[in-house]
Amino acid sequence: MKRFASVFTCAGALALSVALVGCSTVQPWQKGNLAKSEMSFDHDPLQTRFEEHTYFSKEGASGGMSVGGGGCGCN
Amino acid sequence: MKTGSILAAAMALPGMLPSAHAQVTVPNATLIQFKYLYYRDYQDSGNRITVKSPALYLLAPISESWVFEIGAVYDSITGASPYYHTVLSGASGEGVEDKRAAGDITVTKYFGRTAISARAAYSTEDDYKSVAGGLTLRHATPDQNTTFTLGGGYSSDQISPADGPAFTRTKTTVDGIVGISQVLSKNDTAQVNLYYAQQRGYLTDPYKALYGVDQRPDKRDQMAALIRWNHYFEGLKASLRTSYRFYHDDWEINAHTGTVEWAQELPYGFTLTPSVRYTSQSAAFFYYDPVYDAALGPPFPPGYVNNPNGFYTSDQRLSAFGGITPGIKVAKSFVGGWSVDAKAEYYEQRADWRVGGDGSPGLQDFKAQLYQVGVSKKF
Repeated sequence: MKRFASVFTCAGALALSVALVGCSTVQPWQKGNLAKSEMSFDHDPLQTRFEEHTYFSKEGASGGMSVGGGGCGCN
Repeated sequence: MKTGSILAAAMALPGMLPSAHAQVTVPNATLIQFKYLYYRDYQDSGNRITVKSPALYLLAPISESWVFEIGAVYDSITGASPYYHTVLSGASGEGVEDKRAAGDITVTKYFGRTAISARAAYSTEDDYKSVAGGLTLRHATPDQNTTFTLGGGYSSDQISPADGPAFTRTKTTVDGIVGISQVLSKNDTAQVNLYYAQQRGYLTDPYKALYGVDQRPDKRDQMAALIRWNHYFEGLKASLRTSYRFYHDDWEINAHTGTVEWAQELPYGFTLTPSVRYTSQSAAFFYYDPVYDAALGPPFPPGYVNNPNGFYTSDQRLSAFGGITPGIKVAKSFVGGWSVDAKAEYYEQRADWRVGGDGSPGLQDFKAQLYQVGVSKKF
């Protein structure tokens, strides 16, 4: 558990630093590039699902994107 | 004053403003997507699994504050699966054949800058059933530059092996996520997610337990920290998408996974996206190398007789290795919201490719090919 705690502390510090960097405000009319589909974190939902499912069934590590995904007999 | 009046005018026309993806806003279009995946994996000892999967996804805003999402997939699985290490079941003449049907539905209700999503998922195979659900809350700051995510999920799975003595076992998973998405500049957006999952119940591979040796702990606590960063190159008209995930669990697997994708806009609505993914993991503490007990022979690990109830696995997925996936995707969008795409990827795992330590010795390299073709329509 100590290991988990230290990892979470580091990740939390990182999240905070990202938030602080982000204090430079981007105005709504400046978001044209960010609105592009290719700039989205989920630009192709089925592709993400296929690839997550493949790696979930072929590797020891998984998770990090969403919750309540459910399991399969592939792992 | 001038800037203020432009802002006021812009705010009066919300439909005219671009909506960045880190924001919490009701999607303004319906999306229907169909994809077909062909997957095959193999080793020097022979072909392993082939999967053919048609899949459908629908995202539909049905009112000004409600959005529905539906996903469905059907997998046809054939081939051979290892009994232990890289010794294939197909080598003894018996292959694997299974079908999997899975569906999920997500309903999202928007309350201004806050959205609550409820998701339910179901998956069924001959020997496996899974029922899962989750709740996710997203909240954006007034400038829509920062979005906070909080979610929790639950999954209840049932395993009934098709071979050997009949039995049914269960496992449950409880998971949670906390995340922050941040617009960093007009060309940069980043996300950090922290993920935690607790699995309880039957986590052993029943087929490897029957034909080989596989006995796993009945609990597994997992955590992952995921960072994603997308940058848009205005001059080049290209999006660079990067991610890094650190993973740790109490089976002592540590994994580092990174992805880089370069989405290059081209004339006539084409987008070309080369990509690469790299992963490296350590082995579970109960994984044993393919060195067998002198008296019992394979698949028994040395000393098995003295401790037959200990934890053991010969599963290559829980060994130490590195994996690389280069890929290339071509997409073309048409007027009227149609687009088509095709993607090819090659995936290989090798013990030698692990960083920060040795890989597990004595295993054949694992190779796979993935091909996807898709069509989607927005309206």
